[in-house]
Amino acid sequence: MAKFVATGTKVTLNSSDISSSCARAELVINAAEVTTTDFGSAGWTEVIGGLKSGSVSLDFHADFGAGAVSTLFEDLVGTIGTVVLIAANGTAASATTPAYTATVLVNSFTPIAGAVGDLSTFSVTFPTTGAVSYATA
Amino acid sequence: MSVINDIRDGLATNLATINGLRTASELIDNPSPPIALVAIDSVEYDQAYQNGLTLYNFTISVIVGRVAERTAQRKLDLYMAPTGDQSVKAGVESDRTLSGACQDLRVVSSGSVGSIQVNDQTYLAAEFTVTVYA
Repeated sequence: MAKFVATGTKVTLNSSDISSSCARAELVINAAEVTTTDFGSAGWTEVIGGLKSGSVSLDFHADFGAGAVSTLFEDLVGTIGTVVLIAANGTAASATTPAYTATVLVNSFTPIAGAVGDLSTFSVTFPTTGAVSYATA
Repeated sequence: MSVINDIRDGLATNLATINGLRTASELIDNPSPPIALVAIDSVEYDQAYQNGLTLYNFTISVIVGRVAERTAQRKLDLYMAPTGDQSVKAGVESDRTLSGACQDLRVVSSGSVGSIQVNDQTYLAAEFTVTVYA
């Protein structure tokens, strides 16, 4: 495997492939910093990993066609969904194109956005709930 | 047929809705004004993952008539108007999916008004920039 330019990241939401309407995808996984600094820390702060959390950010081109991405989001706000991202331009999980599966809270949707003359787009950022899994097969 | 060819043909079809304006989906040797010529300018790939969206930038050159003709400038005024029966923008955007050849399009601007030489004649012409999403 080599370095790559992201042109074919696969993005699915609740098993619907929305890759061709997606212009940017980002999955962030964090661990909280829990401070363990004490008098024995020799003047340095010390931390350990706490609770993990994550977020999924996606940029879309708006499309209200039947089954299209904007239509897909219409009834999802407030629900739990499953986002699968396959990295490195892959279409299936493999060692070099890992698939990340995140359960997310669809907590917002912006159906209308964009200035006059611009391509109509919208962006979403969802918090993950539970573990983010990682598959290579 | 390629996507670009389909778009080119669709743009020419839409331009043909403008009464009295000849159209050509490709550049030709002996244009007979008033005529609109469609030419691809640039292609911007990978606007979405998995070839989900490509931007095609076209230039439509409208050759109006001999510079010396008093009516040439008046015709160009009508072609460059944003609306109206003779508006190139309105004509091109009369079917913004080009019968399914693209997802959307927009006539972004017009300009480069000036004279051009065609077969030893000096004609008045203008260019229209069209962005096609497909």
